[in-house]
Amino acid sequence: MSSQSSSSVPAPIVALATWVVPGSGYWLIGQRARALTVGITILSLFVLGLVIGGTKVVDLPPGVLSSPVNAVSQKPWFVGQILAGPITLLTASVGRSEDYFPSHSRVNEIGTLYTAVAGMLNLLAIIDAAYRAGHDGGAR
Amino acid sequence: MKHFFYLLGSGEYHYELFKKPLPIWNYWYLLLLPLCLAISIVYKAIRCESMRRVPREAIGLFVFIIVVMVAAAGALAALVNILD
Repeated sequence: MSSQSSSSVPAPIVALATWVVPGSGYWLIGQRARALTVGITILSLFVLGLVIGGTKVVDLPPGVLSSPVNAVSQKPWFVGQILAGPITLLTASVGRSEDYFPSHSRVNEIGTLYTAVAGMLNLLAIIDAAYRAGHDGGAR
Repeated sequence: MKHFFYLLGSGEYHYELFKKPLPIWNYWYLLLLPLCLAISIVYKAIRCESMRRVPREAIGLFVFIIVVMVAAAGALAALVNILD
């Protein structure tokens, strides 16, 4: 199922592409089946987290640009969520609207867990796709 | 699950996709299943050399995670009962 083509795409580009769109780094190095499997699964997990807990489970910590360490220490789960890509920032900006209701208790925790795990799985994909691009040109 | 669908269908809780949380507070433990399935699929898609092996190995890992989680939950419940 996986394509056996070689690739000359630099590893940093593959890593960046995988962060922007989960799974796209594998696509760049010619492993389309792996790209679709990883990408669809990670995005589905992230969206399922939003369905369960509402959009407000992704909450950008205040002052993340001015004092990032302090901001992230208040909401450390955001580190996991941001690894899922720009979709996290988009979700955070959409969720700021008053039309969106915050969830509480277990539902909020589970929604946060889903989105953060999606991001951490994407980190695995980023590392693996970049490694494959750098070592064997995606020939595996 | 009857309660869940009743809440969604009745006027007691107006669920709005992405805007309000899903009324699953009585069945939250079932949400372990899709999470474990997604972890299994992505992990095995990354680890396996051939994508043909991914479905079988992902199902095996999924079952293993669920069995271990249930065993851990049972052991912890037994420990709590003994300590009480």
